[in-house]
Amino acid sequence: MTGTEEKKGRSTGASETASVPIHLRPARETDLETLVPLLLRLKRLNEEFDPLLKVREDAETQARQILKFDLSNPKAVVLVAEGTGPDRGKVVGFVRAHVRERAFYAPEHEGVILDIYFLPLYRRRGVGEYVLGEVTTVLKGKGAGIVTAEFPAQNEIASRFYTKRGFRPITAVQARSL
Amino acid sequence: MAKSSPSPVETEPVVRRKGRRKASAAERSEDKTDLLGERSVELSRFYAGKIETVPKVPVRSLGDFALWYTPGVAAVSRAIQSEPDRSFDLTGRWNTIAIVTDGSRVLGLGDIGPTAALPVMEGKALLFKVLGGVDAIPVPIRVRSPEEFIATVEAMAPAFGGINLEDIASPKCFGILEELSKRLPIPVWHDDQLGTAAATVAGLLNALALTHRSVEDVRTVLLGAGAANLVTARLLLKLGHPADSLTLVDQKGVLHAEREDMDELELHNPWKFRIALATDGGGRTGDLAAAVEGADVLLAASTPNPDTVRPQHIRSMAKDPIVFALANPVPEIWPEVARSAGAAVVATGRSDFPNQVNNSLIFPAVFRGVLDARARSIPDEVVLAAAKELARGASRKGLTAQHILPTMEEPEVFPEIAAAVGDMAVLLGVARRTLTHDEFLERARALMGRPAQLVRALARAHLTAPMPPAKPRRRRTAAS
Repeated sequence: MTGTEEKKGRSTGASETASVPIHLRPARETDLETLVPLLLRLKRLNEEFDPLLKVREDAETQARQILKFDLSNPKAVVLVAEGTGPDRGKVVGFVRAHVRERAFYAPEHEGVILDIYFLPLYRRRGVGEYVLGEVTTVLKGKGAGIVTAEFPAQNEIASRFYTKRGFRPITAVQARSL
Repeated sequence: MAKSSPSPVETEPVVRRKGRRKASAAERSEDKTDLLGERSVELSRFYAGKIETVPKVPVRSLGDFALWYTPGVAAVSRAIQSEPDRSFDLTGRWNTIAIVTDGSRVLGLGDIGPTAALPVMEGKALLFKVLGGVDAIPVPIRVRSPEEFIATVEAMAPAFGGINLEDIASPKCFGILEELSKRLPIPVWHDDQLGTAAATVAGLLNALALTHRSVEDVRTVLLGAGAANLVTARLLLKLGHPADSLTLVDQKGVLHAEREDMDELELHNPWKFRIALATDGGGRTGDLAAAVEGADVLLAASTPNPDTVRPQHIRSMAKDPIVFALANPVPEIWPEVARSAGAAVVATGRSDFPNQVNNSLIFPAVFRGVLDARARSIPDEVVLAAAKELARGASRKGLTAQHILPTMEEPEVFPEIAAAVGDMAVLLGVARRTLTHDEFLERARALMGRPAQLVRALARAHLTAPMPPAKPRRRRTAAS
C-alpha cells in the first residue's frame, strides 16, 4: 500500500480528491486499540438493519482478535484513514478486505470488502469513492480479479453507493432464526 | 359528598389531610388541570363540538342554489379546471386550512389515536378562527406509516390553502413536514416544530437585547433535542449563531459528531444527526453540567420535571444568564429558583408566569400572512420574519426581564406579524399574490378582527348558547 499512499484520487479524479479530508495508510499494530471501537460501531450499525445481526456480548474481544489476525494475514487488507488539518494523525475510519479463492468460478480470486467505517464528520465529500478506489487497487495487486462488498441487505445507503459505482448483486444470503 | 363550586374554574389550595402541608406549585397545577378537565368534558357534552360551518353567501330562496350549486357552479369549476390557481379566487380555499394529525403524540397524552385527538384539533380550529380569522378543518387521520400520512395529505391538498400538521410523534414529524413541504404547492406548518421554535427565538432575541448581547456572540445550550429544539437550533444557526458555540444536550448528554448513537441517528433521525454534525457539541462533550458551564443561554425544552435544571447549573453559567424552561405543565426549573440562582431573564411555557413562550403568539398570524400572500411554502426566512416581528411587538411596549414577549392580551401585534410574513413571502418569491406592507396589514387587521364580531353577533342573536353554569364538583374519595 505504501506505493499508493500519496496517489489520492487516481480513481476519482483530481478535482474531487483535492477536498477529500483523509489520508489513507496501511494499518499498524499500534492502531489496534483505535480500530476496535470503530469496528464495533460498524457492527452495531449493522444491528440496526436486522435483528439477526445482533452484536454478541464478546464482540469486542472478537474484534480485537480478528483485526490482530488480519494485520499479519497476507490475504487481508486493512487501511486506516487519518484526518487532515486539525485532525491530522487522528484515526477517523478504516476499511478491511480479504482476498478469497473462488473454487468454481473465474476469475479465481475475489477481493471482498468486509468492513468500511468512517466517523460521521468524515462521510461524504468523496471519502467513500476515494477509499473504494484505493482498496480496489490494493486488492487487485493481491491478485483479485473481481471486487465484491458485503453489507446488510437492508442497508440501502450502502446498496446505492455500490450500485452507483458499477456493482450488482451476484449472490444472495437469506436467513431465518432457528 | 358533593360540594358546590361558585366558579367554573375556581382553584382552591389543596389542603392535605395529614400535616396540612401547603400544596406545591406542581400539586396546584395538577389540581387546576383536573378541574379544567372536568369542566371541559361538561361543556363538550353541552355544545357537542366547538365549530360548525356557516354559509357566507345569501340564500334568499332555494332558487339561489342554481347559482351556488348546479347548474351555475359548473362554470366556476370549468374556470378552475383551466387555471387551478383560480381556486384561490373562486372558492374558500384562500382562507381554509386542514389541521391534520395521526394522534401519535397528542399534548402530554402520547399516542391516543386520531379519534381521541379530535377534540384537541377542534380546539386548535377554534384558535385559528378566533385569533387568525382562518377557517381550519380538523382532520385526524388513521394511517400506519409516514408514507401513508404523506400520501393522504397530498390527496386532500386541493381543498386547502395550507396544511397545519399537529401532534405528530418525533422524529417522524420531521420527515412528514419535509416531504409535504416539497410536494405540496401550499404552505405546510408543524406547530410543535416551527411555532415553538419561532416563539423561542423571538423571546431569546429580546432577552439578548435586554442584556446587551447578540446571537453572534453568545454560547447557547439547548436542553432537549426534540421537535422544537432541533428547529430552534436550525433557526439560530440561520440567524448567525456560531455553530461552534451551540450545544444540544439530550438524555444521553451532549450531542456531538462522535457520539456512540450517531449511526443510529443517521438512520432513524437524520435531522438530529445533521444538527449534531453542524454543531459537533459546540466544542463540548459530557453532560448538562459540562455543557452549561460558561454559557450565556440555556433553552430547555425537555421533560416536565423541576429538578432537570439545577441551581448550580445556572450558577455555573456566564454573567446574566438567560434561562428558558419550556416543559409543560412543569418547567425544568421553577422560575423563582432560576432567578435566585442568578438568571437575569427567565421564560417558561406557562401563562401563570411572566414571559410565556406560546405557540399561539405565532401560528394564527403566520397562517394569516401566508394565506393572504397565497404562499406556496413557508421557508425558514418566513418563520424568522414572524419571530423578529413578535420580538419587535414586545420591544415596542418596552422590554423588561418580565416582558420579553407580548402576551395574548396584546393582540395588536398579530396583524403586524401577519404583514411581516406576507412581506417575506413576496420577497422570497413564494407568494402567488403581491400586496404592499400596508395592504397586508389592513387585510390582516380586518380578517383577524372579524371573528370577534362574529362571536359577539352570534351570542347576541342567541345562536350560540350561553355557557351553562358548572355542575357541582364531586369530591374525590377512595370509592370513586
